Amino acid sequence: MDQQNPSTEKSLYWSPYLAGVAIGLTLVLTYYVMGHGLGASGAYTQLSARMLQIEAPVHAEANAYLRSYLHLGSLFQSWIVIEMFGVLLGGFLGALTARRFRFQIERGPRIGGEDRLIFALVGGGVVGFGSRLAQGCTSGQALSGGAVLAVGSWLFTVAFFLGGYMFAWFARRAWQ
Amino acid sequence: MMGPLIPNEILTPEIGLVFALVAGLLFGFFLERAGFGSARKLTAIFYFQDFALLRVMFTAVVVGAVGLLLLGAAGQIDLGMLAIPGTYLWPQALGGLLIGLGFVIGGY
Repeated sequence: MDQQNPSTEKSLYWSPYLAGVAIGLTLVLTYYVMGHGLGASGAYTQLSARMLQIEAPVHAEANAYLRSYLHLGSLFQSWIVIEMFGVLLGGFLGALTARRFRFQIERGPRIGGEDRLIFALVGGGVVGFGSRLAQGCTSGQALSGGAVLAVGSWLFTVAFFLGGYMFAWFARRAWQ
Repeated sequence: MMGPLIPNEILTPEIGLVFALVAGLLFGFFLERAGFGSARKLTAIFYFQDFALLRVMFTAVVVGAVGLLLLGAAGQIDLGMLAIPGTYLWPQALGGLLIGLGFVIGGY
């Protein structure tokens, strides 16, 4: 594997346009069946609300925001939790059948595995907080909201790329 | 059949939960085949090195938008029944900015 330039691995993946059409058609199918699009971060909110309910039930149920996630009988009656389970499984099968499944901490040549995991934890926390502010992540807002031309979703998308390009320099040690 | 099928009560919510697994499987499989499994490939967008995933994403958005528009024009889906994300300018702008920041730190 080339450590410097991920683009040399491009041929391992589908053509971006083919993959884009496949994801776009999956999205159309989801809107056609469900009336809503695909998501990701909502599953983590559902999971967090449940974990807080176990640890501090009074607090969780007194919180109007979290309560809205607790009305379902079980975690697996939540659409987005099942969908995310499918995403994990689908990604796993994709990697397996493309013969690129392996255990690794993917990182740039200048960062150690431990530091990379700290970066992942911090970055994940920031993404989690941001996704609750925006009511969605790159799946729910940029992709699903973008396809139905939601104004706020396009604002989100612009802000997302702005943030990425503004702050990439500070995180370059992890990747470059 | 007039979509969206579940809001129109053509299919039950229980079938919707089964469909969730199917939709997730397809989404996850295609994302992986596109290269979204690699944090380095994803972050390469922000170092001007590899824009493949940017092409994937915007192709998907355009196919989604045009697909829904065509289904609507053909009378196969009631576009007025779709869940459209609301507009909250500052939360969405700040949330998007934070996700951009977290994305280049964490990789996803």
